[in-house]
Amino acid sequence: MTSVLTPGSSGPSGAPRGSATPASHHRAAAVPTAAPSDLTPSTSGPAHPAPGASAPTTPPANPTSSSPDREVQALHRGRLGARRRRRNVLWALLLAGPNLVLLLVFVYRPLLQSFYLSTLQWNLGSPVARPVGLGNYVEWFTAPTTGRVVTTTLVFTLATVGGAMVLGLGLALLLNRRLRGRGVARTVAFAPYVLSGFAVGILWLFMFDPRYGLVQELLGWVGVASPQWYTQRPWPLVMIVVVYLWKNLGYVALIYLAGLQSVPQDLKDAAALDGASSARTLRSIVLPLLTPTTFFLVVTMLLASLQSFDIIKAMTQGGPLGSTTTLMYSIYEESFVNGRAGYASAVATVLFLVLLAVTAVQMRFIQRKVHYA
Amino acid sequence: MSHRTAPGRPARRRRARAAATALTAATALALTACAGPSVAGADGAGTAGDDAAAEAVDWSAVEPASEITWWSNHPGTSQEIEQELIDRFEEESGITVDLVTAGANYDEVAQRFQAASQTDELPDVVIASDVWWFRYHLNDQIMPLDDVLEFVEADADDFQPALYADYEYDDQHWAVPYARSTPLFYYNKDLWTAAGLPDRGPETWEELEQWDASLKPLVPAGGSTFGLSTGPSWGAWWFENMIWGQGGAYSDGFDLTLDTEEAVAGGQFLHDLFHEKGVATLSADDAMADFSSGLIASTIGSTGSLKGALDAASFEVGTAYLPDGPAGGGTPTGGTGLAIPSSKSPEQQLAAAMFLAFLTNTENTAYFSQNTGYMPVRTSAVESDTMTAVYAATPQFRTAVDQLADKARPQDDARVFIPGADALLNEAIERIVIEGTDPAEAFASIAPRIETAYAENVEPYL
Amino acid sequence: MSAVAPARPETAPATPAVLAPRPSGAPRARRRALQPGGYLALVLATVVLGAPLAWMVLASMKTPAELYTVPLQWLPGSVNLDNYAQAADSIPLGRLLLNSVGITVVGAGLKVALGLTCAYALVFLDFPFKKVVFGLVIATLMIPPQITIIPNYTLVASLGWLNTYQGILVPGLASAFGTFLFRQHFLTLPRSILEAAELDGAGHWRKLWRFVVPMSTPTLAAVALVSVVTEWNDYLWPFLVIDRPDKMTLPVGLTLLQNTDGMTNWGVLLAATVVVTLPILVVFLVLQRRLVAGLTAGAVTG
Repeated sequence: MTSVLTPGSSGPSGAPRGSATPASHHRAAAVPTAAPSDLTPSTSGPAHPAPGASAPTTPPANPTSSSPDREVQALHRGRLGARRRRRNVLWALLLAGPNLVLLLVFVYRPLLQSFYLSTLQWNLGSPVARPVGLGNYVEWFTAPTTGRVVTTTLVFTLATVGGAMVLGLGLALLLNRRLRGRGVARTVAFAPYVLSGFAVGILWLFMFDPRYGLVQELLGWVGVASPQWYTQRPWPLVMIVVVYLWKNLGYVALIYLAGLQSVPQDLKDAAALDGASSARTLRSIVLPLLTPTTFFLVVTMLLASLQSFDIIKAMTQGGPLGSTTTLMYSIYEESFVNGRAGYASAVATVLFLVLLAVTAVQMRFIQRKVHYA
Repeated sequence: MSHRTAPGRPARRRRARAAATALTAATALALTACAGPSVAGADGAGTAGDDAAAEAVDWSAVEPASEITWWSNHPGTSQEIEQELIDRFEEESGITVDLVTAGANYDEVAQRFQAASQTDELPDVVIASDVWWFRYHLNDQIMPLDDVLEFVEADADDFQPALYADYEYDDQHWAVPYARSTPLFYYNKDLWTAAGLPDRGPETWEELEQWDASLKPLVPAGGSTFGLSTGPSWGAWWFENMIWGQGGAYSDGFDLTLDTEEAVAGGQFLHDLFHEKGVATLSADDAMADFSSGLIASTIGSTGSLKGALDAASFEVGTAYLPDGPAGGGTPTGGTGLAIPSSKSPEQQLAAAMFLAFLTNTENTAYFSQNTGYMPVRTSAVESDTMTAVYAATPQFRTAVDQLADKARPQDDARVFIPGADALLNEAIERIVIEGTDPAEAFASIAPRIETAYAENVEPYL
Repeated sequence: MSAVAPARPETAPATPAVLAPRPSGAPRARRRALQPGGYLALVLATVVLGAPLAWMVLASMKTPAELYTVPLQWLPGSVNLDNYAQAADSIPLGRLLLNSVGITVVGAGLKVALGLTCAYALVFLDFPFKKVVFGLVIATLMIPPQITIIPNYTLVASLGWLNTYQGILVPGLASAFGTFLFRQHFLTLPRSILEAAELDGAGHWRKLWRFVVPMSTPTLAAVALVSVVTEWNDYLWPFLVIDRPDKMTLPVGLTLLQNTDGMTNWGVLLAATVVVTLPILVVFLVLQRRLVAGLTAGAVTG
């Protein structure tokens, strides 16, 4: 995918963006970079997808980047062998140990324990629990509300990811043009991304107030009656999607912008020479070159959207009538509102498996892309 | 992940890696062992709980703690009043009380309480609302209060019998009444007068429907004669009046009666009120807010919102009993009581009990009542000079107390005793009100789930 | 983009594609015609994305009478800070701010440090099971927080860490994303410098802090900023762990103001929201170049 780029191709900061060995791409892009929450046990907001840098990697400066391991090994094996190795291990323990221990205790252990809890019927707050084997899973798959939750999740995810990609690309194309004031626009566009999802939810709840909100006022200008955003289905879901898009648009645009800026200018010039319109250039040259970016964005946005919580909690708390309850929110609701910790763990496991599947698919795709390029 | 495997000795690497992974997994599993519930075996019955009742504490040998924590949601926006009462208590007893806002409403506080139950982060006093106190009891989270209240001479006989009896189970009382209410029919007296209506609430719902014709023209655009809001610990509360008015009920004991003709008639009444007759609209946020701003001419609200309404409204606020239906009527009681967690030390519990007694004594319950609208929880308080003066000046405060005496009816068991039932009932009500769902269908969709909740959470413990 | 073309008589600086000699007429006219459209779109986008924030600040200064009025009143009557005062009265705003700042600084700092050291070990040290360790670290990126919340909550509770700062901080400290970014960057560092340092007798510690870190400032900035943003905005976990207002962080404190037992006082609520969002906005505005550069450095080579 990057073989089209040559070092020194146009781009604001030239060098670091030059070449990337396909190998490191593969590994780098293979990592789905879930929310860069660094595994704070909460969803750190509806969208903190990993910043772009994680996908295609910072390319190694020299083509022998695959050798340091070997060199280091040779070095160690050679002189002062055993003692050096022991010192290495000690240093490794000191440097990587704490992180690893934290991961084991606060990520892996809970993961396994969650599997275990999902086999219990346990009321959060009760000192005892009852083993039910796969009963929770059976219940979830056969529950009448599950269909609604899944549908809501699908709709929300598709709308937010799809919408963010399209609008983000559009905004990026806009920002890519030499229009005055685009620096300001870029700043403003990106600002919502850094804000607290909960705070954003509160703000937009006010904006959507059917009587005193800005939205209903603006709709009035256009002569449209404001729907009952809070209570009348499907508007609460629409409301949530709009807010989510607003918050994350800037991020997508920014990543796309970086991608656009590394599209080699000579390609575009060549196309123009051939008489291609800008639309055609976009479709046939720019977009294909952006495919890796697009893919990266799709995956990170997908993962982040599936973990979205703060906005929903602030605005609708999953209602009305569960119409904004996504899979993630239902996990929270089942465990901390209804107190059904065992059942919620089962649902969380399902979500985990879904994410795993998404990642696996993505890894497969990236491999193909790399080879294709 | 990495494709940069060193050349040579691939097999050894693989074995080493497998061993490492296994080791890690084992470690993790070992770590899994700590923290979590104890699994009591297939029969599921808990073993805890009996221990609590077994030992009777000799309160005379206990020295009360000097500092306790109170989890509240300040019902009726009463944070300042609660703080004032705390200050008074501190002065009298020397015990400091840490007032914690543990949630925005009864449900949030209860959820937090549930989540904290396995820890020592529990408060010493916690609010226990009508649909939550029993769940606390089922989980053995709160202690019976009769003994300790007697020891601190709280004069439990003076509690309003209906209000105190609400917390009785197994011949013990598990909470004391604190901010107790009945729903009231609030009406905009100015609009009523302008419409030429008598200065009282409608006696029956039918009467309100008749009055709608005169009121509708006077209500601002987007408003209505009558408005309601729904939500957990709310919708299924005021709806009791409507379902009772049609001769139905949520349940008879623990047997659900949602499929009876009368219950469905209750749902139909609600449906028609909103959709057929156009008498009522749903408030997006808070019906009391819409009422106080004049958007809706009347509503059902808790008596605990009375003070707030009187302050906020620019018109004269009228209160009345909830209207009757063709089969009579009645009002549920509601609001919240206070409970003491069972896992705290006797010192904490004694201090907490002293605080409870103080909070609910005659003078203080009167003070609380006149500053919020909640009913005084003691008979002596109702008849006290303070309240008599209040009633004389602002008769609206009296409505709930009178309604309690005249028309109070115990809430249906299903709502208060089955965990999660209130939320499910509210869901059905919302479907009827928001979506116009057929009531029989709405009730049918929740009945099995309530029954599951009963079978899982109540039956094994009875 | 380097625009080498001489200035053309257009409203905007020439875009490079105009460089090449082309038949004038259709394409150029199109370009010229697009510019006003482009400006319009840009302005629209800026307004849509920025207006809500401005609206938030304006509303936070309005009295209830100015807020609850139809038709809308656009500007507040005066620069009125009453709502802020009331917010500070109802919730310990200053304390919340301090908590947020403290936790963010410590949390982000530790995360960066952990990522640094772990990545260093993974790249510059050789030790057994290194690949396994790396795999473990990276694999955690695939594990969503939701599945770990309940067990972590029980663990934290049993450790007595509810309502404590460490309860908020520690479970989220482990760095996987940071480790990954740092590792990717470290792999690009020139070995020669480090080898020279080693031959000069520098130990690992010195190598890390004296050489590797200074050579990694963009990545450092990116990881630090992402960590700061994440830590500051973290909601669900602090919400579960803390119930005493004096230990809450700002976003969680917002929940305290959402009082459903009465009218939602928008003015006060929005004033508090401003307090929650302003610090991070300021940080962002000051450091946005770094943040953007860090986020997109190497982001889209393809």
